[in-house]
Formats: sequence, structure tokens, C-alpha cells
Amino acid sequence: MSMSQEEIEALMSGADDIQVDDVEEETSEEEILEEATEEINVDEILAGIDGIVDDEEPIATIESSNVSEEISEMEQKINNNQYPLPVSDENKVVNQLNEVADDSEEKASQIFDVLSFILDENAEISKYNKNMADFIEKQAILLESLSVKFPNVNVFTENLDNAKELLETSKDLSSKVDAENNKVFEAMELMQYHDINRQKIERVMAVIKKLSSYLNGIFEDDSDKPEVQIAKHISGDSSDIVDDSDIESLISEFSN
Amino acid sequence: MRILIVDDSSTMRRIIGNVVQQLGVPKEDFDEAEDGVVAWKLFQQNNNYDVVLTDWNMPNMNGLELVKTIRAVDKKVPIVMITTEGGKGEVITALKAGVNNYIVKPFSAEILKEKLDGLVKG
Repeated sequence: MSMSQEEIEALMSGADDIQVDDVEEETSEEEILEEATEEINVDEILAGIDGIVDDEEPIATIESSNVSEEISEMEQKINNNQYPLPVSDENKVVNQLNEVADDSEEKASQIFDVLSFILDENAEISKYNKNMADFIEKQAILLESLSVKFPNVNVFTENLDNAKELLETSKDLSSKVDAENNKVFEAMELMQYHDINRQKIERVMAVIKKLSSYLNGIFEDDSDKPEVQIAKHISGDSSDIVDDSDIESLISEFSN
Repeated sequence: MRILIVDDSSTMRRIIGNVVQQLGVPKEDFDEAEDGVVAWKLFQQNNNYDVVLTDWNMPNMNGLELVKTIRAVDKKVPIVMITTEGGKGEVITALKAGVNNYIVKPFSAEILKEKLDGLVKG
């Protein structure tokens, strides 16, 4: 079980009597997914989406002949060494997982570039906004004194009102930019899951490597016996096996 | 404040760097390393870091080895381990190796800020 940040804090401050087992088990992702799935009516959702075509054949209509065709097709692929896929570098599972991890790292970096760009642009917007607000504020002070000095000149009062309104808009803009920045920071924080997921992939890769080495070890033939030629058809195999009469007829056929 | 950020994930280095920048540390004042070997080289070359922020699981030389290597020559520089390793045993191992603080990924910027503030003030 992982430690929470609070437990680590407690550990840091010397409290070594943490009851790790007492920590309430968090709901697993699978449980959450199950709960969520139970609440979702897939048919209703699909019905609400335009352009969804039901291309699935009803199970009942799938005839057994199709199944046997598929099996024979698979057998043919196996016989022709097309399946399972040949053990080339691009088909090795660990290599594929490695590629996924690297690809994901590259894309995450690109996403980070985009987020950084937004932050930089927001910083520019904030700077311009502040300059404008400073100017409008000075104008407002000027208009304030003018409207006091010349109360009968309406244009001063009107422009003062406009300036005050613009100052409010500038404040709004500033808080909107701040809120957007906070969301960008939030997105950047969430990108830590990329690293966490990469490490999960690396853990799977490590398991596969260990399993591969174990299987290699257990199937390894360290005897000096030469490789024997194996029988292709043995009595009891499901494939066609000749019986005595077949043999006799074949012999007589060849004798002719 | 000079900071050394060590993580094999470039994304993580950028995330941490971003938080550090939010704290007012300019980009020129922090260095990045993708593993313990590069970090150790930088540490020896510059020898002026105020804080080291390091991941645990990395190729070539992992974070724990880096901490031990640094602690063999420098007992004072504050080191914070930032890692996905969230087991109690790992935290204890890291503390015994000489880290001053420990953060489990994913972390919030606030947590890192608090810890860095604590280290700098302490």
C-alpha cells in the first residue's frame, strides 16, 4: 500500500508508529469503473449520438460454419508461419511497450510546450492589461478633478463613468487570465500521470523480461542429444490418418 | 537559490522546473539532469546547489545511489526525493540514505512549495 503525503509528514517528524494497515483502503479504479458502468445505459447514449451505425451482427445469426471457417483460416496462417507474428524486433512485446512509452514521452513534451505557450501569452496579456489599466486610472483621476471643477460639463462625468467601467473590465480580464493560468498549472500537475503511467509500463516490461528469462530457462535443453525428426501424423491425431485399407489401396495403386 | 532537478522524465523535470519558477527562481538558476550520473557530474562541477530534487527510479544511477554519493562528500545540502515509490519501507530507506524530505508523485505544486520553503528557511 502506498503512503499518503500526511503519513510521510508524520514519518518525517519522527512519528514512526504509523498504522499503515489502519488507513482506509481507497476504492480501486476497477470498482469505480464498475460503478460508473452500472449507472450508464449504453443503448440510451448510443441512441443519442448521430451517425452511429450498428454494424454488429446479432450473436444468434452467426452460424457455426463461419466459426469453423475462421478456425481453418487461423490454422492456415499458423501453418504458413504468418501467425503468431514472427519474432522480429518490431513484434517483440517489450520493444512495442518501449515504443509506446517513448512516443508518449514525446507527445507529453509537446503538450507541455503548448501549455507553456499559453502561460507565456497570458503573461503578455496581463502585462498589456496592466499598462492599459494604469493609463485608464490616470485618466479617471483627471476626469474626476475636471468633473468636480466643471460640474456643468457633462462630457467629463460621462467619460469618468466610462473610465470606471473600463477599469472594472480590466479587473475582470485580469481575474479571468489568473483563473486560466490556474487551470493550466492544474493541467501541468496532471501531466505527472504520464510519468506514473510510464513507470507502470516499465513495471510490466520488467515482468515480461523476467517471465521470458524464466521460460527460456525452464524450456532450455542442455542435453547433448541431437534434434530428432518429429512425426507429422500419429495415431489418435484428429487429422486424417490412414488405416490398413487405405495403405493397401495406396500400395495397389502404386503397383499399377 | 541554485537548484538541481534530477528526473529521467523530461516532462517531470519541466513540471518541477515550473513550480520552482513560480517560487521566483529564474530558469538560469536551476540545472536539470536525466539520471544520477549526469547529476553527480553537475554536482561536482558546480558544487553550489542550495537544494537537490531527485527522482528515485532512473537508469544508469538511481536516485538513492545519487543521495548516498552526495552524502559521502556533502552532509549539508538539502535533498528532496520526488518519486512514485510510496511504500513506507522506501521512505525509511531514503531517509536513512540521507534525504531531508520526501514527496510522492503525483504531488501538488503547493506541497513542493511548502517543502522547499521549509528547507530554505530551516
